[in-house]
Amino acid sequence: MSLLVCEGVTRRFGGLVAVDAVDLAVGEGEIVGLIGPNGSGKSTMVNLVTGVLPPSAGRIRFAGRDVTGMPSWRVARLGIARTFQMLRLFKSMSVRENVALALHPKLDGGLLGSALGLARPAAADRDARARADALLDLFGLAALADRPATALSIGQQRMVELARGMIVEPRLFVLDEPAAGLSPPNVEKLIELIRAMRDRHGITILLVEHVMKVVHALCDRVVVLDYGVKIADDDPDAVARDPRVVEAYIGGARKADDAGAG
Amino acid sequence: MRAFLIAVAVLAALALLPLAVAGGYLLHVLVVIFIFVILAVGLDLVMGYCGQYSFAQGAFYGIGAYTAAILHRDLGFGFWQTLPSGIVAAGLFGLLLGIPSLRLSGHFLAITTIAFQTIVYLLLTQWTSFTGGQYGLPVPKVGALTLFGWELFRVETVRDFYFLALGCMAAAIGVAWRLAHSRIGRQWQAIQDDELLARAIGVDVTRGKLVAFVASAGLAGAAGVLLAHYLQGVSPDDFAIWTSATVVAMVLAGGRASIVGPILGAVLFTAMPEVLRSAQSYKLVIYGVVMILVVSFLPGGIVGLLRRERRA
Amino acid sequence: MYTLDFALQILANGIVIGSVYVLVALGLTLIFGILGIVNFAHGEFYMLGAYFGITAAAIYGLSLFPLLLVGILGVVLVGLLSERLVFRPLAGGDMTSSIITSFGLAVALQNAALIAFGPQPKLLRTPWAQIPVEIGPVFMPLQRALIPVIALVLVVAVHVVLRHTWTGRSLRAMAQHGTLAQLYGVDVKRVAVVTFAVGAALAGGAGVLMSSVFLVQPTVGNMIALKAFTVVILGGMGNVYGAVSAGLFLGIAETFVAGYLTNTLRDIVGFALVVVVLLIRPQGLFGRAIDRA
Repeated sequence: MSLLVCEGVTRRFGGLVAVDAVDLAVGEGEIVGLIGPNGSGKSTMVNLVTGVLPPSAGRIRFAGRDVTGMPSWRVARLGIARTFQMLRLFKSMSVRENVALALHPKLDGGLLGSALGLARPAAADRDARARADALLDLFGLAALADRPATALSIGQQRMVELARGMIVEPRLFVLDEPAAGLSPPNVEKLIELIRAMRDRHGITILLVEHVMKVVHALCDRVVVLDYGVKIADDDPDAVARDPRVVEAYIGGARKADDAGAG
Repeated sequence: MRAFLIAVAVLAALALLPLAVAGGYLLHVLVVIFIFVILAVGLDLVMGYCGQYSFAQGAFYGIGAYTAAILHRDLGFGFWQTLPSGIVAAGLFGLLLGIPSLRLSGHFLAITTIAFQTIVYLLLTQWTSFTGGQYGLPVPKVGALTLFGWELFRVETVRDFYFLALGCMAAAIGVAWRLAHSRIGRQWQAIQDDELLARAIGVDVTRGKLVAFVASAGLAGAAGVLLAHYLQGVSPDDFAIWTSATVVAMVLAGGRASIVGPILGAVLFTAMPEVLRSAQSYKLVIYGVVMILVVSFLPGGIVGLLRRERRA
Repeated sequence: MYTLDFALQILANGIVIGSVYVLVALGLTLIFGILGIVNFAHGEFYMLGAYFGITAAAIYGLSLFPLLLVGILGVVLVGLLSERLVFRPLAGGDMTSSIITSFGLAVALQNAALIAFGPQPKLLRTPWAQIPVEIGPVFMPLQRALIPVIALVLVVAVHVVLRHTWTGRSLRAMAQHGTLAQLYGVDVKRVAVVTFAVGAALAGGAGVLMSSVFLVQPTVGNMIALKAFTVVILGGMGNVYGAVSAGLFLGIAETFVAGYLTNTLRDIVGFALVVVVLLIRPQGLFGRAIDRA
């Protein structure tokens, strides 16, 4: 059964159709690539799946539930984590806080409880910190846990984003260009990490990526968007040979910037 | 833990102070400081932690004070009833002002809060049949505080009121501290840093902002009830936009998102005009200049400066 | 009192007040549109213009036009100083810091005026206040009748500058796309200086004009600033022509509320309107919806 199902999902910005009647299914335990030239609607698609934008038409189902138009924080609580193409970290917080904070919504206590100190959050908080530290260790960031998150290098910040997603043990992890700005050795490390997420933790992954090496190494299946329309949906080798995909990449290189970016 | 011990020591010293000091004047100044500490710590929750610009703390202060005065006039309420009523009334209006914050941010929200502050002030001055207009309304002394028929404490003199205000301030700081250091406080900072990211990790931003506005306004309401009983009356000019400006200056100069900062700010800004009598008429000019200077040169306020010193 | 003549008289009064709102709001919306700053001290520019005019009239006994010049120049000076000392240090950073600094500037200027000019309300008296003007059934003193005329001249002047001069083109370039304009060599500092000068001039002029109609007090800026915010929001933030229509609309709406209902409701109506508009249509009544996704 598919974990994520998009049916005829469309998003318009004014007169512009950024995503046009796209069907997309991601099976439990799959790694699905989402690729396309600049401005093809990938980022908009990510924002639709994660609830940042409501679709103009179509339906989105996640784990058997209709999540169409559901706000992003509720989508997140259902088990969809994400990273951002333009790195996003809480700038006033340390690396550890950035990662541990992602657990908070799961632990939410009431206002009265927090004010009166009745709900003892201390134990849960200690647990959150411990889990954050364990993950940071795994991602090779243990020594940087107390540093301000934004003081890290781009590659390290990407790792923090991954750790932030992992800590909530999501059912679906949407990765928006995780290899952007990484050096070749770090790209290798990233591939290993993503593979481990699926193989060892059973996390389903929707991967938006420009770096074809990453897509080839990881994806079971690749979906290609062009001008907001799905033009291919097949295994990576078949997609690479598809004349429409080749045409889209050569012909689409000079297009305007992505309306749904950011 | 160390902060907690220092807080307990300071509160204990303040509680013993009236034994050593005979003069009512010092106690009076301290009562005013305690009231402003409640206002400033309250504003810090919404402005310092949650990052929502609010210039309406004076309005919530007024709503608390007038709730006490009107409920006393119409229903004969005493302090035990006016205090929770004032908190609830101000909290409800806080909820009301929180709603625009869900759609507006930055400048737009700031304008909305100023408009709200002005509407409240205009109603206090012009709706004479309900609020008494410019003359305001009388409020009785707190008198005997009873619990289940037992008289706990009698509040007649400034000295009695000093203890009451000290207790209320300690409770307000406690509540604010708990909130700021609980999960909701961490979520407020997340909202302030990056609202979109906060949502993406599952933070209920709507709830977070509304809680911040309600808690902040509720504390201001409590301060208003205290002031009403202390001055034995309410009049609109205590709740004009200048009061909001003063509280904003206290939070900024002390250092936002720190609880300690707004306390220092309230002490400094209330004590300064008392110490420097000649500065009295320049007070608000100075507050304005302080706001400009702090934003440009000392974004962390006094607390930020102390932290930097310690690190250096 | 429900006669056509009465309604026309109210309409005329509304146009007078509305044209002053237009002047103040125009500067506010320019500063916001071009520099991204909401100047909470804009009402104080207006208040200072009024006091400069009244003071010059009391000392030198000047007539309206020289007074206007004094008010405008004085406030332009204040505007330039504010730009240099208060706003420029923040340039390039997070513009929300200007919320606090401009609010601080408003607090400081207003209370400085209280010390300098005292709390007693004052009114500008020039010989033209005694000359009556009659247009059909509408009657008002010459000084008041000149307000919409002068306002029109100033608005047209701003329009000409914006449309047809090099400076105007750089201002509009900044408003439309700040970073791009900088890449094309627009001098940002100069743009900021000119914008503040124009905004301050309009507010100062409005202050002089209005000081013969409404009593002037140090706190008068609060009210006028909020009215101008109302106008700017109704007209769409940064929209110059929206501000003109919305300013006249608010002035007329207020005088009709005051004339037919009650004077106490007059001020509250405008603010209630602004809160409602902000909630329902943050882009304003006359503004276009901009999708900033």
